[in-house]
Amino acid sequence: MILGPSGSGKSTLLRCINKLETISEGELVVDGFKVNDPKTNINLLRQEIGMVFQHFNLYPHKTVLENITLAPIKVRKMNPEEAKKIALEYLKKVGIPEKADAYPSQLSGGQQQRVAIARGLAMKPKIMLFDEPTSALDPEMIGEVLDVMRTLAKEGMTMVVVTHEMGFAREVADRIIFMDEGQIMETGTPEEFFNNPKEERTRQFLSRILKH
Amino acid sequence: MDFSVVFNEAHLKFLWDGLLVTLEVAAAAIVLSFILGIILGTLRYTRLPVISHLATLYIEVIRNLPLLLIIFFGWFGLKEWGVELPITMSVILSMTVFTSALVAEIVRSGLNSVDRGQIEAARSQGFTYLQTLNYIIMPQALKRMIPPLVSQFVALIKDTALAVAITLPELTHNAQIIYNKYPVAAIPMLLFVALIYFVINYSLSLASRRLEKKLAG
Repeated sequence: MILGPSGSGKSTLLRCINKLETISEGELVVDGFKVNDPKTNINLLRQEIGMVFQHFNLYPHKTVLENITLAPIKVRKMNPEEAKKIALEYLKKVGIPEKADAYPSQLSGGQQQRVAIARGLAMKPKIMLFDEPTSALDPEMIGEVLDVMRTLAKEGMTMVVVTHEMGFAREVADRIIFMDEGQIMETGTPEEFFNNPKEERTRQFLSRILKH
Repeated sequence: MDFSVVFNEAHLKFLWDGLLVTLEVAAAAIVLSFILGIILGTLRYTRLPVISHLATLYIEVIRNLPLLLIIFFGWFGLKEWGVELPITMSVILSMTVFTSALVAEIVRSGLNSVDRGQIEAARSQGFTYLQTLNYIIMPQALKRMIPPLVSQFVALIKDTALAVAITLPELTHNAQIIYNKYPVAAIPMLLFVALIYFVINYSLSLASRRLEKKLAG
């Protein structure tokens, strides 16, 4: 999990992993792919990386089912029947199989984000990226999205999560990365990070957010 | 007001022939300028190095010229350069050249209106740029382009009357021939022709509104 104040570069770091952000310098290797190398076929790598956005970014002109099956069919060249079967499986997993034929605009924010997670999973990715997945949600819907993510983590899915949900980070993370002003300030296990932070900057950050 | 000259059988037949020319020119120019406009607008949108600039140059030059001038070029100009087109073809060509530049701008702004997050979501799933354009951006943009496109095509239908200037035998031209012979019938004739244009164009607008509602639903 990547934590840190707003503007500290958490999302930018996350978006470098699948090159949604242009990498100006340095080297980044993901699953054997040199992301910074212009010769790398980034589309091949992106098929292996699911991404969930703050504002869901579901395709509004497609049904929930089509949102999930589009990439498996067009990018992975999966047979449509097979793709549909997998999509329904994941819709069940995120708890809204009855919404398969709805359009995104007919769903609540929490439901949309769960569809977005199912859309990412349907590509059978090796890694899932989450960019502040609950920041645009009403408070009562945050729980349902975090529950899905918690289940994924338990099942062993590799996840990189940018979040402001400290309780969730503490409970679910294997490793915390704390960023400030574009730099990684501290990394560690949740216990080390929350109970025994090494850096002064980390202590300031924690004292400010854990007060309330 | 005396409408007897208008409702004379031979005159109605003559007006009908004119209407068919108007519709033929308009329909052909609508189809062609839509295709060309989509291509030009998309090329401008893509920001491909040279190609996008060429599209921009074409669009900016053409849409800042009067249509009448383009119709003159398409008839007298081409003749001067030794290209002899039938007059209908010449007007279809001129109207297509003009309208495609305006359609291209509608297409570009439609494509630009699609949220960047849509592109990021698609690219993050491994869609190529072209697939993203084809499956994600274009379908959403097309829906938003319907109202401005229909206004543009209504303008095109009306503007076919400009071809009177080079004596294309379309509706307004044929009406003019009749009332030049019977000057008392000028106003009734113009009113009648106005009604025909109105009915065609207003039906088109209604149809587009219905289509829009259906797609929005």
